[in-house]
Amino acid sequence: MKKILNHLRTFIYLLPNITSVFFSKAETIKYPQEPSNYSSGFRGSVRINQQNCVGCNACVRDCPVSALQLIKVSKESFSLIHQQDLCTYCGQCQLSCKFNAIYLDNTYNQPSADRKNFRVVLLKKGKL
Amino acid sequence: MSRMVIPIGPQHPLLKEPLSFLLTLEGETVMDSSMRLGYVHRGIEKLAEQRTYVQNVVLTERICGICSHIHTTTYCQAVESLLGLEVPQRGLYIRTLMCELERIHSHLLWMGVLAKNIGLDTIFMYTWRDREIILNVMEEISGGRVSHAVNTIGGVRNDLTKDQMNMLKESLALLRKRVEELLRSIEKERSFKIRTQKVGYLSLDDIKRYCVVGPVARASGMDIDLRRDAPYAVYDQLDFEVPLMFEGDVWARSKIRVLEAVQSIHICEQIINAIPQGPVSVKAPRRVPAGEVVSRSEAPRGEVVYYVRSDGSQNPMRLKVRTPTLTNLVTLPKQLKGLQMADVSVVIAGADLCIACGDR
Amino acid sequence: MNITEFLFNILIFPGFLFLLALALGLDWLDRKLIARFQGRVGPPWYQPWADLLKLFAKEDILPAGTNVVFTSLLPLLSFASVMTALFYIPIAFRRVPSFQGDFIVIMFLLSVPSLLYFLAGWATKGVYSIIGGNRSLLQYFSYEVLFLLAISGTIITSNSWSIEGIRQAQFEQGAFILPQIFGFLLALSGLIGKLKRGPLDIPKANSEVIAGPLTEFSGKKLALWILTNELQTVAGLSLLIYCYFGNLWQMNKLSGFLIFSVLLVLMQCLLSAISAMYARLRIDQLIRLNWYLLIPLSLLHNLYLIIK
Repeated sequence: MKKILNHLRTFIYLLPNITSVFFSKAETIKYPQEPSNYSSGFRGSVRINQQNCVGCNACVRDCPVSALQLIKVSKESFSLIHQQDLCTYCGQCQLSCKFNAIYLDNTYNQPSADRKNFRVVLLKKGKL
Repeated sequence: MSRMVIPIGPQHPLLKEPLSFLLTLEGETVMDSSMRLGYVHRGIEKLAEQRTYVQNVVLTERICGICSHIHTTTYCQAVESLLGLEVPQRGLYIRTLMCELERIHSHLLWMGVLAKNIGLDTIFMYTWRDREIILNVMEEISGGRVSHAVNTIGGVRNDLTKDQMNMLKESLALLRKRVEELLRSIEKERSFKIRTQKVGYLSLDDIKRYCVVGPVARASGMDIDLRRDAPYAVYDQLDFEVPLMFEGDVWARSKIRVLEAVQSIHICEQIINAIPQGPVSVKAPRRVPAGEVVSRSEAPRGEVVYYVRSDGSQNPMRLKVRTPTLTNLVTLPKQLKGLQMADVSVVIAGADLCIACGDR
Repeated sequence: MNITEFLFNILIFPGFLFLLALALGLDWLDRKLIARFQGRVGPPWYQPWADLLKLFAKEDILPAGTNVVFTSLLPLLSFASVMTALFYIPIAFRRVPSFQGDFIVIMFLLSVPSLLYFLAGWATKGVYSIIGGNRSLLQYFSYEVLFLLAISGTIITSNSWSIEGIRQAQFEQGAFILPQIFGFLLALSGLIGKLKRGPLDIPKANSEVIAGPLTEFSGKKLALWILTNELQTVAGLSLLIYCYFGNLWQMNKLSGFLIFSVLLVLMQCLLSAISAMYARLRIDQLIRLNWYLLIPLSLLHNLYLIIK
């Protein structure tokens, strides 16, 4: 008898599943619209600690997509430029930096229609 | 009866990535098929020769979207063995953890695609709902849902915190329940079995002849799994089984993938309990000594092989990637022959193709 | 009857607008229910209206070499035939001209769209359309038969070929749903095949033949096809309700309308649950299941009813 019941159950196997899901809360999130909350490790935008950077070029050298650019006049005066449209936010620059200067945080800025806005001067030291 | 040639792809609802089939139909029966590849060829192997070893970690991650972590793992293993680096145990444990999480994620994703292709949208929604749990955990650990960027040469980047471990534990407990329910569903649900059983049969001889790897091979009774046969990372310290089935059809493939997901959850739980304290990475020199090395690992879809040749400079001289998709792809014309048109979608989904991997 | 009342009847109340609202409401219910079964939120109530409006506003494209008049006539004809069928089915509490044999007329009018659907596949000349068209014809030959055989159990018992007659017979003998539950289930599965709903959406299987015969249709024509299918759902379900639950309400009363709506919603729930629960069958499996199991079953059922 039990065997027959089990056999019959295979014809409507998903019925208990769909009923229990029907009466529980929907899994859809952020609908229609809610602000996103990013995880703590989310790699959102590239930032820099102004004091720590010495212009050693390590991040620029290791960047896989050449999104960083260092303009160096002398040891004291240099500028670091971040090209956001090229950046893949892989976090390699943070890993390469020996002075804890460049880092990625979980803030996120909206895309822009103008290409110029993607060129961010991260740092300007001394006279250029 | 007149013959008709119908194109499947490069854009077709059943394909998630561009791949092209030309099927010759007689009525509803597939008489012949031809395949065309290379729609997402990006020249990654050549590109890797112009970049430094560190930059290539990010590049190899871009080979595949679903199994991005296993590619960097294999690449880093290759470079580490060229450098003779000893990666700290904690780093290896985290690497393994991510591998297993990725395996669960990939298998659940695949299961959803198969269910969608046979019109069982409910299972599709359920598996993708469960996959979201894994993606959230992976985002919490690594900061990325798809490109995790966990690996680096000499270890891993991210350390596991106490909070993350707790979140992982809770998620795994929930996931275990859901995956076991999924396993029961595919064993019992009648219409699913009707559509997938005895479709796309590959015998053990076929598996050997075409050098098929991964779950497709294991579903036909080929007992291969690199995690057990040639342990890398910390698989030799973990206790797990390699599920094996002998039916060789799409249903066996789907069941074996869910069984593997259950095993992966088991492995992840072991890792949480056994993970040692200590550093997660060691510093790697920029220049790699001359030599050549082959690194292998078990991706969700099968065996990934990386060949790296170094001439002592900052850039690799040659990087060769062989992905499981390409070996499994060649069986498709054989599987498709003589099938019904309706089964084409089942077979193509059953091979678990990752075209981005295969074309590179 | 004066002209304003006539126009009101045709266009608004039991006519076009009311039927449209009913069809789209059922469509929304279907989508919402399936979404909830799958753990999703589902669309808001105006989604089917918005979809329809959007389709009517879209540009109408056809592949080169297609006969424009013919392809435009197909959706119009199928829409017209379903609407005509709906005027013979007493939706809710509206009295309709009933005559002996109107059941056959309704069955014929409801099967016309399936045939035109097949023609649509051949008219647009796409490879997917042709395969989908062939499949829809195969499905037509199996499921039309099943639906008619299963539902004719009620004709046998009531000894009448009109909807009103079947209804009247139920006032004397009690609702047919309990004594003829097997017939009802067989007719329901026939209806699923007729409406091309999941799990029998074989002619328009998305992962196999894209959208079947409707692959090359767009704009207004596609909108009409979709509307036809939704109206067919209303017609089929109300036919089932009349044939199996006919004695539950009196005509021309608000309570009658309420009972009818509740039954309609319940039937739609059943259809949605079925399409959420099963995978799509293959066409050969469908035909085997149909001719080897379901049609013999319905014949046996009818034989039993005749002997009784």
